[in-house]
Amino acid sequence: MIVQAKEVVKKFGHLRAVDSVTCAVEKGEVIVILGPSGSGKSTFLRCLNGLEKIDSGEIIIDGIKLDHDKSAIHQVRQKIGIVFQQFNLFPHLCVSDNLTLAQSVVLGREKKHAEEIAQDYLGKVGLKEKNKNFPAQLSGGQQQRVAIARALCLNPQIMLFDEPTSALDPEMIGEVLEVMKNLAKEGMTMLVVTHELGFASEVANRIIFMDQGKIVEEGEAAEILRNPRQERTKLFLSKVLR
Amino acid sequence: MDWVSQQLQILVEILKFLAPAVPATIEVTLLSFLLALILGMLVSILRISRFAPLRWLTKAYVDVIRGVPLLVQIFFIYFGLGRVLNLDRFLAGVIAIGVCYSAYLAEIIRAGIQSVSRGQYEAALSLGMTFPQTMRHVIFPQALRVIIPPTANEFIASLKDSSLVSIIGLRELTRAGREYYSQYFVDFQTWLVVGLIYLALTLSLARLVAWLEKKYKVLGYEAAH
Repeated sequence: MIVQAKEVVKKFGHLRAVDSVTCAVEKGEVIVILGPSGSGKSTFLRCLNGLEKIDSGEIIIDGIKLDHDKSAIHQVRQKIGIVFQQFNLFPHLCVSDNLTLAQSVVLGREKKHAEEIAQDYLGKVGLKEKNKNFPAQLSGGQQQRVAIARALCLNPQIMLFDEPTSALDPEMIGEVLEVMKNLAKEGMTMLVVTHELGFASEVANRIIFMDQGKIVEEGEAAEILRNPRQERTKLFLSKVLR
Repeated sequence: MDWVSQQLQILVEILKFLAPAVPATIEVTLLSFLLALILGMLVSILRISRFAPLRWLTKAYVDVIRGVPLLVQIFFIYFGLGRVLNLDRFLAGVIAIGVCYSAYLAEIIRAGIQSVSRGQYEAALSLGMTFPQTMRHVIFPQALRVIIPPTANEFIASLKDSSLVSIIGLRELTRAGREYYSQYFVDFQTWLVVGLIYLALTLSLARLVAWLEKKYKVLGYEAAH
């Protein structure tokens, strides 16, 4: 098990945004987390790399227990890459520097070596020729692909995707999903919060359906999409598929 | 014609009298602004500290200093604190202006830091960077874009406010103007020349600042437009 979450609770004031969520992820699994907005799926994802501090429960990432100890959070973050809805590229740095900054600051890689790695991953997401551009000069889809490459440069063992296509124009969603599919094929462990059911049915091993902070239903992707057992899941899918 | 050349001669004489006092104005301005930058940076960082008493303390610092006229602060530091610590006029003047402007700069720097979105912290931290690394490489360079223009304004304002230290007898431009006036009783021409020298100084500063802004402009923002 590379990710183990046990009865994780995250509260915002009185609201239990994540309410006793237990889940385990095997190495190489691709898991899609579905659910209506406000169901706690993004918050749960953010708990996994310590962006949200959990109120109770336990999270273990590749043998490291994520608690309030700073060095544990730091270690875990080096194993996990995350891609945000809003890309969050560094606007003051060109694409190449976006990819090399953490490599040199966190891993202490030499500039030349870091740039080679950056070029490699830019090639993988099909943006080799954009390395000297600034984020503002790229389309949303291109920015998100750069963000994926930036995370990959640090050799993460797990990739988290927090609604990676929700801020994109429809015609750009495909190029981002394509990069994610390739990543899944290469055996990357992925947790993906998304509304892209096509991606879920094609790539996901498992689907977790959340509502009001709780896991309502989980299981094999095809099974959940075809024959959801819970009423809540049926309702959600019927609305999304409409 | 006679009158014109006579007037010109007076102006030149005033200029000659005032010129030696100009370096003092520049020195007071540069040193006090340097002090203001250092103090302002420190206060701005404490102002957003996670430790509440530090926040209250620095908030009080900013409120008090912004709420009291600079002239009064100069009196207080020279006649009050200066007595105790044995400060000379120059040092007292520099400290008074420096402390006063640090409060304004602290607010400007704080606003700049807070203008950078949460997502930028999250992205940097998620990439494994520590908080100080995040501030240095990601947040501060972006904050500078917001910080530089109003800071330049304050710099120019501090040059003009350096005239206030004339009141404690520091011989800078304004003080020299008063000396000339009380010796020769030429009022209109004296203050005209004093004003023109300040104008020349502030205009050159504005040019310098514009050049610096261009030279160190933060890339990546203009690009899209």
